[in-house]
Amino acid sequence: MRLNELKIGESGIIKKIYAKEPLKSKLLSMGITRGEKIKVLKHTLAKNTFDIEVGNSNIALREEEAKQIEVEKM
Amino acid sequence: MKEIKVALVGQPNVGKSHLINSISGATLHVGNFSGVTVEKKEVEFEREGIKLRLIDLPGTYSLHPYTPEERVTKEFLLKEEYDLILNVVDSNQLEKNLAFTWQIADIGKPMVVAFNMYDEYSKQGGEIDTDKFFKLTNIRAENVSAKEKFGLERLFSKVIKTYEEKNTPRVYYSEIVEEEIENLKEKIKECKFSKRFVAIRLIEDDEDIYKIIHEKPWYSELLDVLKAAKERLRVEYDEEDTKTIMFEERFALSKGVVTQIAKKARKETLTEKIDKILIHPILGLPIFLFIMWAIFQATFSLGSIPMDWIDASFGAFGEWVGGLLPDGFIKDAIVNGVIPAIGAVVMFLPNILILYLGINLMEQTGYMARAAYVMDGVLKRFGLQGRSFIPLVSGFGCSVPAYMAARTLKNPKDRLITMLIIGFMSCGARLPVYVLFVSAFFAPEIQGNVLFAIYIGGALTGLIVAKILRAVLFKGEPEPFVMELPKYRFPKIKAILFDLWIKTKMYLKKAGTFIAAASLIIWFLSSYPAHEKELQNIPGSEKQAYILEHSYLADIGKAINPIFEPLGFTWKETVSIIAGLAAKEVVVSTMAVLYHTPDSDETSKELVETIRKNISFPTAVAIILIIMFYSPCLAAMGTFWAEVPQWKWRLFYTIYPNVLAYLMALIGYNIALLFS
Ligand SMILES: Nc1nc2c(ncn2[C@@H]2O[C@H](COP(=O)(O)OP(=O)(O)OP(=O)(O)O)[C@@H](O)[C@H]2O)c(=O)[nH]1
Ligand SMILES: [Mg+2]
Repeated sequence: MRLNELKIGESGIIKKIYAKEPLKSKLLSMGITRGEKIKVLKHTLAKNTFDIEVGNSNIALREEEAKQIEVEKM
Repeated sequence: MKEIKVALVGQPNVGKSHLINSISGATLHVGNFSGVTVEKKEVEFEREGIKLRLIDLPGTYSLHPYTPEERVTKEFLLKEEYDLILNVVDSNQLEKNLAFTWQIADIGKPMVVAFNMYDEYSKQGGEIDTDKFFKLTNIRAENVSAKEKFGLERLFSKVIKTYEEKNTPRVYYSEIVEEEIENLKEKIKECKFSKRFVAIRLIEDDEDIYKIIHEKPWYSELLDVLKAAKERLRVEYDEEDTKTIMFEERFALSKGVVTQIAKKARKETLTEKIDKILIHPILGLPIFLFIMWAIFQATFSLGSIPMDWIDASFGAFGEWVGGLLPDGFIKDAIVNGVIPAIGAVVMFLPNILILYLGINLMEQTGYMARAAYVMDGVLKRFGLQGRSFIPLVSGFGCSVPAYMAARTLKNPKDRLITMLIIGFMSCGARLPVYVLFVSAFFAPEIQGNVLFAIYIGGALTGLIVAKILRAVLFKGEPEPFVMELPKYRFPKIKAILFDLWIKTKMYLKKAGTFIAAASLIIWFLSSYPAHEKELQNIPGSEKQAYILEHSYLADIGKAINPIFEPLGFTWKETVSIIAGLAAKEVVVSTMAVLYHTPDSDETSKELVETIRKNISFPTAVAIILIIMFYSPCLAAMGTFWAEVPQWKWRLFYTIYPNVLAYLMALIGYNIALLFS
């Protein structure tokens, strides 16, 4: 499943990043890499923007970007 | 004296600029979100008889730059001369930060690591063993806190020592990667970078390095080896993209090193608790609007408290100076020109400081990034994205840094749209004009709200313009929005007061130099020619008015005035508005000169009264609307021109806000006429 399908409070393990360069490098360098645990902390009412936790950082990203991250629900 | 040129490199928001400030007493801009520093800055200081030249660079997540400001850092590292890299690391985010450390270690320059934010890390029970780190990587490191100012002296002793020993990092990847690096190194001949660095960058498809070695004679021989190397890595790592392989490689290395050098810290929970409320799915937006409202309300009501006091001081000062000087040209110029003008501008310093404090607190606490998150959905509807929010809010302070901050937007279209509407976010210098006119024409109970409405009105118009620009001139999707939300931090009171003091100094300096000079010119042009002959037949009390109405400035103003007549302007308003193109404070200082009646014991606060008597309400509305929308000051325009190379956009930017301002004022004026 994709990151945007996780509900608030749910976590997953990152499987693959489908984003194209240079976004892919950006995500990787922010710690969004294969095998890491990722958690959805919040999203806005319309589910447009997500607040996720990976490693020790919080990152805001849009649904479009979240869609490009393959996760396995924990 | 011996000199060491030190480049401060690290991921965004790790405290690079703060560290420089703490060691050298500089006043670089610091803020708790990523992308505060967007251009290279240099600061010097001395230790142990050595001059250290510190280069503050924009933070970058990796050596594969994403945004223009990240590119600045890479260009510096590849193209410029420096002796040593000081890599600043956020101790709270070791794994992620060290993955970048390994990338810059590849360059092969002498390097030192600063584990910054150690105050926070150790408070949560974390520890880092820097000796162990040195043993593992051959990089000297120190645990420091830029905020609490510890470890910094030791850090720079290590910098000097590393420089003297020419001590370079020894960071190795897994065996397979290292083997391929060795294979490639054999094919790499002369080049200004180390062979190892070139080999690694080629494996991870670094376009910039490709471009540089493309012309080398040995390039073609290398291609086969490179192809084989990448192929082997793909198979071994079961991943198509070798860049990704290197990212994962470094991340794994980080994890390994961290388990050996660090005692894990407890998780900080405060941020999550605060975020439960501040970025609540439903409450988030109302809370943001409330915060903005509160800032403008405070700007108005708290700011007006010291006004009378400043006003009285300038009045008394003017009289005192007047008493000292002999009658004549100089006395007139100073007492009737410069002092009332400066007084009128300085009177609004408290308002400006409060507004600045509000914006500064948003930046320092980490709320700015949250507001961007909350606003992202709204901005998206207008064809922008959350990241644009930060330059836009800085625009409420000053447009110059706001234009610079737009560098954090990757997509050139997003960047241009954002820059084209920054001017509609009324800057601090416009505040005095608003406060003056709002105090003169609105009931005290609603003045704060009117001010808020002016700012919101400007911002909304900006968003609508953005939407139109996006639909008409910049078709296409906005860039992806990905932004780190830093943990909440609370700046020291002392640091905040110091910022305010710096701001005060700058404002007073501007009032004492630029504004003083401008008002001197205005005074001269409005007091001459003297018309000695005509004045003989005019009674004493009307002499002054006669001179003013027949001055050079009146001639100029009256020549232009037909354009502004539909707005009910007299030549005095016309001149003030046009003078405001130089700087917005000049609008107020010019009015202070033109409406000043000498020899009365009038003071600046009475400027409010004079304005009320001389200007009609509809004209006041028109003036406010023009100030809201027309071109910003010369300094801001210069910055835009420097940042945007295309002539068509420069021209567009220079013309369209003025057309818009005029139309808005025309509409506003006529609506106000209906009601009054
Ligand atoms: N607690 C704590 N906070 C710090 C320390 N150093 C910096 N900060 C805070 O961290 C935030 C980021 O500091 P900056 O100096 O702007 O970071 P930077 O690395 O220059 O960031 P960019 O210019 O965006 O790359 C600010 O809020 C600082 O006050 C530290 O040692 N301890
Ligand atoms: Mg900085």
